Amino acid sequence: MKNTSERIADWIAGILTALVLCVLYAPVVVSALFSVVEIKGGHILWDSFTLQHYKTLWSNPTVTESLRNTAIVAGVSVFFATILAVGLAVYAEWNGAVGKRLLEITIYLPFLLPPIVTGLSLLVTSAQLNISRGISTIIIGHTVLVLAVAYRLILTRLQTLPKSMIEASSDLGATQVQTFRYIILPYMISAITTGAVLALTLSFDETLISVFLAGDRMTLPLRLWAMMRVGFTQQINALVTVVLVISLVLAALVAFRLKLGEQENTE
Amino acid sequence: MVGAFRRWLFFGLAASVPIIFVVIPIGAFLVLSFFKVDNGTIVYEVGLGNYLNFFGNPTYWGTYVGSLWLCLQVTFLCLVIGYPVAWFVWRRSGSIRYFLLLLTVLPLFMSYIVKIYTLRSVLGLNGLLNQLLVTAGILEKPSMLFLFNQRAVLLTMTVLYLPFAILPVYLTLERIPQIFLQASADLGATPWTTFRKIVFPLALPGTIAGALFTFILAFGDFITPQMVGGTTGFTFGRVIWSQFGLAYNWPFGAALATILLLTSLAIIGLAGYASSRQQV
Repeated sequence: MKNTSERIADWIAGILTALVLCVLYAPVVVSALFSVVEIKGGHILWDSFTLQHYKTLWSNPTVTESLRNTAIVAGVSVFFATILAVGLAVYAEWNGAVGKRLLEITIYLPFLLPPIVTGLSLLVTSAQLNISRGISTIIIGHTVLVLAVAYRLILTRLQTLPKSMIEASSDLGATQVQTFRYIILPYMISAITTGAVLALTLSFDETLISVFLAGDRMTLPLRLWAMMRVGFTQQINALVTVVLVISLVLAALVAFRLKLGEQENTE
Repeated sequence: MVGAFRRWLFFGLAASVPIIFVVIPIGAFLVLSFFKVDNGTIVYEVGLGNYLNFFGNPTYWGTYVGSLWLCLQVTFLCLVIGYPVAWFVWRRSGSIRYFLLLLTVLPLFMSYIVKIYTLRSVLGLNGLLNQLLVTAGILEKPSMLFLFNQRAVLLTMTVLYLPFAILPVYLTLERIPQIFLQASADLGATPWTTFRKIVFPLALPGTIAGALFTFILAFGDFITPQMVGGTTGFTFGRVIWSQFGLAYNWPFGAALATILLLTSLAIIGLAGYASSRQQV
């Protein structure tokens, strides 16, 4: 039985939740709508429905170039971050590890600190070392950022690995490399892929660090920013819709994998 | 047994990447903050000039204090709105709960720039907010009350960072064992008493974490104030950004960013202290 005051509180919180969700999802709905129909004088012209802006998008060289840059940055930085995260997580769980706590704080720093600090620190360093800004500096920025999430997910998984499995493996005469190859790695693989997809999602949208490190190379969010400064067109709305849908699909994939992983851990 | 040499060798290997790409860069900009700029080039003379400039100039520390206040307001709004949402999601069960949770978490991954732009068009003169207020009879004609000022920055940041407040609160609510709530009800507590004495204290670490996330993110944000803040919506992050752009004074920008860094660290420390006090 629920009493009245509880029910009222539930209703108020429910209405608030509905309102919040409307506001949070407005960008997707609005840009998807405006990408297919024209708006004139506050009225939606349903007759003007067209999908051609999604087609012309791919013939715009600035868009395709920034998309390619984003793909390169995301792919390379996630690749490096994942390998580093595996190495660091295995090290953190190793008995002989020293300075573990300090190392962990350093790994989490780029994620905890305001992005402006991470972006600026790498900008200053690359300028001092005369490294010209471009794709490679963005990759470095993204790698240190997504390393934190990949490391966290992989470490959490690794900590649930029963020590007896490693002991059994070495009792049966496996070398350390074999134990890693046949016990530790298969055990971690689900966390590794989840971490990689999450890292991809973050890298895909990253703006605040990239803006310091990009130089004259544009990633997709930076290109969008530059395009929107000029004004909204249906083509921009089409691009925005594509970007939002990619992010949402990637994020939903992470959520789905995390839920699977949860079931795996409790079984 | 593992020898000391091997231990340090592995430590060196593991630590090399974080040291090269995190510690050294942060160190580099800390060092830069003690230099100065003369005629557009950096002069490598150590001095406290940049920091004295900051504390001696009311415009700068005024912006700093103003930004702290603004971000406190953002944090407050995010918690006041986000807490009931997290509570509502937590009170659902089964797949509805999971679906609602997913709906509140997904916007975290939606493009930041896109969100700012959509909000900008919503808050503008011909935007949705003005149209709603005029239709409802609250405003006589569309106004520029909501764009290109501090209020616009406040509203935009609140929407941007709201999901960061909802998630941590929800995660701690979820960890409260159901039996606590049943026991409380069995002992005759009203739902309000149960909330006040059980739910709220147990979810406090998550509430603090949510406040921390929103505050740090809002404080370091420099694109939102630039896009919706106009001339009056100046924030500390925006001042730092301008030092690396138009003003072209990197050492001074580095000094301001150092102050931002120290403020963030102090707040992280404070939040950690508040959470640990809770668990005792």
